[in-house]
Amino acid sequence: MAASVPEYGRSALKLSSAQRKLGDRLGDPLLRTLTWLAAAASVVVLALLVYKVFDQASESFSHFGLSFIGTKEWNAVSGKFGAATFIYGTAISAFGALLIAGPMAIAIALFLTELAPRPIRRPVATLVDLLAAIPSVVLGLWGILVLAPFAENHLEPALNSALGWIPLFGGTPSPFGLLPAILILTIMAVPIVAAVTREVFATVPTELKEGAFALGATRWEMVRAVILPYARPGIVGAVILGLGRALGEAIAVTQVIGDTAGIHASLFAPADTLASRVASEYQGAATTLQISSLAYLAAILLVFSLLVNAAARLIVRRTTMRLRGGAAAVGIGAAATGVGVDVVEEEAEL
Amino acid sequence: MIKKNKTVATVLGVAVLSLVLAACGSSNNSNTSSSGATGSSTTLVGAGSTLVAPLVSEWQPEYDKKAEVAVTYGAIGSGGGIAQITARTVDFGASDAPLTEDQFKEAKGVVQIPWALAATVVAYHVEGVPNQLKLTGPVLAEIYEGKIKAWNDPAIAKLNPGVSLPSTAITPIHRSDGSGDTFAFTNYLSHISPEWSSKYGHATQVNFPVGVGAKGNSGVGGALTSTNGSIGYIAIAYVLQNKFDYALVQNAAGKYPVPGIPSISAAAATLASVPANNEVSIVDPPASAPGAYPISTFTYALVPESAPKASTLKPFLKWAINEGQSFGAKLEFAPLPAKVVSADEATIEKIS
Repeated sequence: MAASVPEYGRSALKLSSAQRKLGDRLGDPLLRTLTWLAAAASVVVLALLVYKVFDQASESFSHFGLSFIGTKEWNAVSGKFGAATFIYGTAISAFGALLIAGPMAIAIALFLTELAPRPIRRPVATLVDLLAAIPSVVLGLWGILVLAPFAENHLEPALNSALGWIPLFGGTPSPFGLLPAILILTIMAVPIVAAVTREVFATVPTELKEGAFALGATRWEMVRAVILPYARPGIVGAVILGLGRALGEAIAVTQVIGDTAGIHASLFAPADTLASRVASEYQGAATTLQISSLAYLAAILLVFSLLVNAAARLIVRRTTMRLRGGAAAVGIGAAATGVGVDVVEEEAEL
Repeated sequence: MIKKNKTVATVLGVAVLSLVLAACGSSNNSNTSSSGATGSSTTLVGAGSTLVAPLVSEWQPEYDKKAEVAVTYGAIGSGGGIAQITARTVDFGASDAPLTEDQFKEAKGVVQIPWALAATVVAYHVEGVPNQLKLTGPVLAEIYEGKIKAWNDPAIAKLNPGVSLPSTAITPIHRSDGSGDTFAFTNYLSHISPEWSSKYGHATQVNFPVGVGAKGNSGVGGALTSTNGSIGYIAIAYVLQNKFDYALVQNAAGKYPVPGIPSISAAAATLASVPANNEVSIVDPPASAPGAYPISTFTYALVPESAPKASTLKPFLKWAINEGQSFGAKLEFAPLPAKVVSADEATIEKIS
């Protein structure tokens, strides 16, 4: 072995010694420069983008100041603009979507990693992933033609008669409003959250799972005591990724939310989000103040998204560090103890 | 292995380099779009109104054939058109709403030329209700204010004896993006209802108190199709092409003219004179024209008085307001009335 390597090396050198020398001299600096440029390009683009958005928003900022954020009015005729209704719409639609998408995606991931028969795991996973490949404008079109009438004629009346005492489900059913937007965003968030969660579940060490079973845990106990705690940071990261998707989606939301500035208690009422308002009004904006106010909305959205992302990273890093720092043994111990307690409880019940 | 790495690095390098070069190159030309694919030597670049866009795209090949001028037009919306011509990044802008005083000031020496005439039609989708329901301006205003909430409201029933109206709730739909149709419709409502005028006003975008918004003609059309009980205002060509049910809106003479080029032209014929700034409005025409459709609107070309391409621009505009009008028929654009054409020609002469 020791003899064969230099021989191979020597023959290779012989073949292209001239080029090799040139390549050696140029290769490393070239690689360094190019990778450096690639990294710098993305940072520069981000910086330019942030600068441009804030620059465009400056007129509106100097006109309305920070009170813009709390102002509910948005009136192109009188030239009074405020972001409150859109912040409300964005928050409700995104969190509403995650409230449904989160548990659903975790359930899908659990099913696909633990419960589903092996032959169907891959096809079903692929189909769930494909859901993310549907262009949002197509999803929005489906929203207009199918989801909106369904919401108005079936879903909303049913919710209203069952839960009408909650203001969220009060009011008259309407085809376009927050609820269809939440459902559309759910459909968009589920595949992302499910894909990431699935990856995380797959990394749970088999020994841990088998250990739990060996201690007499049922499948549900194993999931609760081993998989979910182990995967928690990953799940949080996945959900925040989904939140990012839901916050920023513009086109599909515009198509079903009813594009109306206003804060209503009912989920059935039309509303609007930051992204949706920018998408629908920017092209037709008639005054520089309106354009600038739309950029102000975009800036708020940008800050929101960056904060959400930063928070997600912080949470994920903290939790992973705790897991790593505690060492695997502690993790196993904790998991086993958890299972043990559960088992004891179950025995006591018996 | 080493060789493979090198290949990867080279590919990566080439990709990054080309990206950087492309970025550097594109920063030099700030124009939205340049010449078309045709072989014409001269070009005109315009941007703005989406309402007039189908007509401009009819004009493009015709004018290229005639004058060998390639006209590039970006349907970026009226607001965008005003912004672009104010910044002089285009040769002409286009807007569905006439410029306000402030906008004129800001644009420094831009003139507006009404160059097309179209109508906005009130369409609806109510199961069990026939086409061509009769409505009046005050009823429309009350529907869009949320005062009339159901289709069997006495105010609607009174106008339509013999039609059995369901109790379906009314869902008013409006354009959420800036639109010439919104301008025409709210301009009409403001003429009819002082309350509408003071509370909501008229513009390409207004703050509708009730109902849902949808983006573009197609968005309103989609919402209309999927919502039983909906009503919306849409460009006339879109309504007729898609065979939506549409309302007959009562005019000042108390008649219910069918929307179409004859009734739009009848409204345009009532125009008494064109003011110096060329702002013309023919919504709610006087009772002297019994056949006049009440919701029509002019859309404007915006041109700088001192235009670098004046020698190309002037013949194009002259052609558009004269010969160009004949291409509007199949898109339901009515020809400009003679008074507007002569006012336009006088304005075009001022460009240099």
